Amino acid sequence: MALESIKEGLTTHFRIITKHKFGTFGALVLLFFSIIAIFAPYIAPHTPWETLRTSAGKLALLKPPSGEFLLGTTAMGRDLFSQMIFATRTTVYIGFVSGMISIIIGANIGLISGFYGGKLDEVLMRFTDIVWGMPFLPFIIILISLFGRKLEFVILAICLVIWRSSARVIRAQTLAIKQRQFILAAKARGCSNLRIIYRHIMPNILPLLILYTAFNIAWSVIAEAGASFLGFGDPTNLSWGGILFSLWISSKIRVAWWWFAAPAICIILLVSALVFISRSYEEVANPRLRKR
Amino acid sequence: MRTYIIRRGIYMFIAMFGVATILFFMFRMLPGDPTAQVISPALDTATQERMKAAFGLDKPMHIQYVIYLKNLVTMEWGRSFTSSRPVVDILVYRFWNTIFLMVAGLFFALVIGITMGMIMAWRRNSFLDTGSTVGALFFQSAPPYITGILLLIIFSYKLDLLPTGGMLTAGTSVDQGFGLFFSTDFLYHLILPTVTVSLYYLATPMLIMRDSMLEVMGSDFIELAKAKGLAPITVMIKHAARNALLAVVTVSAIMVGMAIGGQVVVETVFSWPGMGSLMVESALSHDYPVAQATFFVLAALIIILNFVADLSYCYLDPRIKLSNSSQG
Repeated sequence: MALESIKEGLTTHFRIITKHKFGTFGALVLLFFSIIAIFAPYIAPHTPWETLRTSAGKLALLKPPSGEFLLGTTAMGRDLFSQMIFATRTTVYIGFVSGMISIIIGANIGLISGFYGGKLDEVLMRFTDIVWGMPFLPFIIILISLFGRKLEFVILAICLVIWRSSARVIRAQTLAIKQRQFILAAKARGCSNLRIIYRHIMPNILPLLILYTAFNIAWSVIAEAGASFLGFGDPTNLSWGGILFSLWISSKIRVAWWWFAAPAICIILLVSALVFISRSYEEVANPRLRKR
Repeated sequence: MRTYIIRRGIYMFIAMFGVATILFFMFRMLPGDPTAQVISPALDTATQERMKAAFGLDKPMHIQYVIYLKNLVTMEWGRSFTSSRPVVDILVYRFWNTIFLMVAGLFFALVIGITMGMIMAWRRNSFLDTGSTVGALFFQSAPPYITGILLLIIFSYKLDLLPTGGMLTAGTSVDQGFGLFFSTDFLYHLILPTVTVSLYYLATPMLIMRDSMLEVMGSDFIELAKAKGLAPITVMIKHAARNALLAVVTVSAIMVGMAIGGQVVVETVFSWPGMGSLMVESALSHDYPVAQATFFVLAALIIILNFVADLSYCYLDPRIKLSNSSQG
């Protein structure tokens, strides 16, 4: 019974995404990067920090892409292909974890604020306003510079600011649904507030939740890449932004185009994949768009 | 209307006060003693105590907080740990550089975006329409530093047409007034960063203009204008575009708020001496007085612009005024 409903739910979401060419593309890209992230150590031919030599025995510094080094090498003679694979793992991990945590924070603040209303709503929304006043990337880099450049602090810093957009939208949607007949009926039946929030209202805003989960993951990826590019990434866990940072400080951009191209293309691909997925949910969450 | 403005104004001050408070606790409660930068733990205890007293650090937390708020309002933001220049002096110079780059970038994003959006709505589903949508979404998904580096590679390194960064050619005498902003050398250095900012923000006004044009063009008064026998171009600009602009105006103020945060990476890529790069430098070198003040100025700008967005929204669209004011 439970299995049936899970299966049914999954097929519905699968249909929503694959209804559009863009959505399908986004899902495939996401799947591709997730597989790389999971199996990173098995795919990468070298570790990210190994200094390599060419078959002739010389140090392989700044070699362009070739059969030997698929994506070329860095100024330190490290294999960019292996670096990219391990960096995918870091980026996808940070993106998913902070995307999930921030949607949980944002959804709960939005649901509680919208459902209870009154003083609580006022306090929570003013707090959200304050967080909206925070400049996005500066807030993240200040927190990382204060806490230290560690993976978990990067995630924490991202989560502390990203939840704000989902909170406002989910509150607005909760306000609308709260007025519906079936919520009044549930209240009359004597359902507890928590049950109404999580069993009656939440399932009805599910498309919006998924839309904002995709958005939050996309923003986490952008934030992480930006912070690492500026030198505020975890130095032991290389990410795509971190690769761009090491290129930037080595000032080899004039010669090593491949060193720039690989991380740049991956960041754009992953972010646009997430935007495409969220766009296919936007139609479900906002039926007004469907007729266009 | 008036109560709405007053209420919004109060929210604005609450938000600024909130940001200031969060900043205070952030810099004092987090791991790592920021004072260790100035008051070296190697000094003997008596000297450490004397220095703490000089900075007011011996007082209890709530008194420190009151002093902090007072200093914030009176713009006594202390001195930089690294250069020991007053923070205010550093910030004033950087502030205008940032504003100039941002205004230039957003100006082109808005002008080009609105014009393109209008044409795209008029030629709906044409190649131009789809092509521009995909192009704009591409530049929106690409973080501005990637676009910036790409432009640098093409126009500075390969074609050697434009400067690689900075605000003036090294050795140029720095004119202290606003005359600086209109010298050819400055404008020459402004091109690439401006294009980067514009490309990043182009999609928002363009797509919103397109969608709201489509919405407006379905209305009766457009049919009427057409039936009157007005030229299509007149209908498009004088009747449809004017009404569609409403949505763009509202979003653009919010967009400006976002742009302030995004300024950080663009300024770093082009070594632009603005507040964004100052933020990065001070955070990297743990120069906390500068980092704290820069952050507060950036946040205050965003909060003020959000307030302006709310006001312009209610000024331009009288329908919103009463129905929305109670929702906050």
